[in-house]
Amino acid sequence: MTLLRTVPQKRVALLLVSLGIVILMMLWKPYALIEGLQRGGLYALIALPMALILGIVGIINLAHGEFMMLGAYFAYWLGVYFGIDPLVAMIPALAAFAILGSMTYFVTIRRALKAPELNQLLLTFGLAMVGMEFANLMWTSQPLKPHLSYVYSSMALGKLRFGTYAFIYTAAAIVLLVLLLLFLRRTRLGRAALAVGQNPRGARLVGIDIQRTYLLIFGLSIALVGAIGAMFLTRHSVFPSAGSPFTMKSFCLIAMAGMGNLPGVVWGGFALGVAEALVLSFRGYGGWADVVFFAVLVAVIMGRSYRRQTA
Amino acid sequence: MRMTRTIPYLLGAAVAATFPLFTGAYLQQVAVSTLIYLTLAVSWDMLLRSGQLGFGTAGFFGLGSYAAVLLVLNVNAHPFLSIAFGGLVAGAVALLVGLAVLRLRGMYFAITTLALASIFAVVLRNFPRLTGGPEGKMLPTCIYAGDTTKIYWLVLAVAVLTIVISEVFERTRIHLALTSIRNDERVAKSSGVNVFRYLVFVFAVTSAIQGIAGGTYAHVFGFVSPEGSFSANFLLLPLAMALLGGIHSTWGPVVGGLVLGALSEYLKLQIPYGHLLVYGAIIVVVTLFLPQGVSRMFKTWVRRSSVTRGVQ
Repeated sequence: MTLLRTVPQKRVALLLVSLGIVILMMLWKPYALIEGLQRGGLYALIALPMALILGIVGIINLAHGEFMMLGAYFAYWLGVYFGIDPLVAMIPALAAFAILGSMTYFVTIRRALKAPELNQLLLTFGLAMVGMEFANLMWTSQPLKPHLSYVYSSMALGKLRFGTYAFIYTAAAIVLLVLLLLFLRRTRLGRAALAVGQNPRGARLVGIDIQRTYLLIFGLSIALVGAIGAMFLTRHSVFPSAGSPFTMKSFCLIAMAGMGNLPGVVWGGFALGVAEALVLSFRGYGGWADVVFFAVLVAVIMGRSYRRQTA
Repeated sequence: MRMTRTIPYLLGAAVAATFPLFTGAYLQQVAVSTLIYLTLAVSWDMLLRSGQLGFGTAGFFGLGSYAAVLLVLNVNAHPFLSIAFGGLVAGAVALLVGLAVLRLRGMYFAITTLALASIFAVVLRNFPRLTGGPEGKMLPTCIYAGDTTKIYWLVLAVAVLTIVISEVFERTRIHLALTSIRNDERVAKSSGVNVFRYLVFVFAVTSAIQGIAGGTYAHVFGFVSPEGSFSANFLLLPLAMALLGGIHSTWGPVVGGLVLGALSEYLKLQIPYGHLLVYGAIIVVVTLFLPQGVSRMFKTWVRRSSVTRGVQ
């Protein structure tokens, strides 16, 4: 767990490289940069709660995207029945998904904490399928989307005209990162959670209630991802399999950043978003954008295994 | 003792072989899809016996479907040849992918293989001239012009082939190697098992079986499409079948496949949308409460009751 490790030299190098790429992109393909930062913000936003669960509870939640999808449906139906805007619906979604997450933890995850990793993967895969097929059963596979006029806001910068609304994802990703880091570093509860993530047995020895911490982190993460689902709905339509690509992309970001490195997840999200937008910007090759994350994942994996062999 | 043991197998084989003689086209069609899923379930379990959880079933299945259909359309090959080609392509791709991802374990391997289905679908969609893009391709006719009896025997042959390969894996050195890798990789390595080579081999063989199943399926239904051929159902159903029946054996997935294949047809009639919810629930319940699967539970129950009878 290197959740808080700071490597100043590496960080400065990373910052300089990112800055260089941003300047290059600004001159070459400014639209791809803007689109990439917006896309990447969404990826990072969704990946953060997954990284939290993996870092502290130690479980890879393959149903992560499905919880987001259910959050989007929740916001959609609140909008249909009560006329609530999806962005406002984030608050009830937070509460509802805290309950859903805690229930999921109590009924299933809690029983698999000590099970082999393969069983945990199978379990959360099963949960993902239950979530997806539940949505299929209830609402069919028809894509649903509310009409919102404010998402079409745009602005002009010199010759550039671009949509501004989707920067909400970029901003939200950074805000969520800062809040999570503050929570983990500054609050008693967060520090306890961090300790559990680093060494559960040691944490129990110093008197931390591990079960309660797991429940809290799992419930919090699912609550967050439910609310993010409501935010997702403002720009995208929701359908039963809307969430599963995000599970995979989130995992890709976590693998890129290394376990427990939350700022790395956000950097990785922006990098992936910009890379995808760049591929999309070439006419005729846009269909390949969906492969980018897989190429990144395999490259990271190969790099890791190579390093392990030489070490 | 040996005789009484072989009787259930012989009975099962007799029923399987003569099934079309006393059933109609509808039941045969149900049996065909059951056997396809059963084949996938057995092949998924074969990889699991080495301790690697692969989620690539749907990916290699779809790849085999595409390879078979495209070979028929482009060089007008014989259907059997094209099915074998489907297996070959899936196996070769698995070999290449395996060389990279089998260096990883646990969740990394599982999730990379989970991504394979959507990656293959995207790649195939991006060569519209060859693959028909998002619409996919259609065969001029289904195999045997849609005669369900002959199709049943074809699919049965594929399933039997898979069961035989699986049993060969269970009864030779391969079984020992895979079991030792599953139990403790370091011990396996220090006892002289070439872990990486065995894993790549098993991954390629099981993926080839999935490709053959896909090629057969494509010939039965006569078309391929990115959505249909790489559907998550080809992952979800086999997993539920193998888990329910009991993993790490040939007969567990077979029993689970037969039970769930019949159940699936009933559920499809009851709840057309989202009957797959039941399969997800089966996976969750089995991993939590019956990690041994139903058939092994039944076996221990039989053994226990026969032991008590023996005491009397």
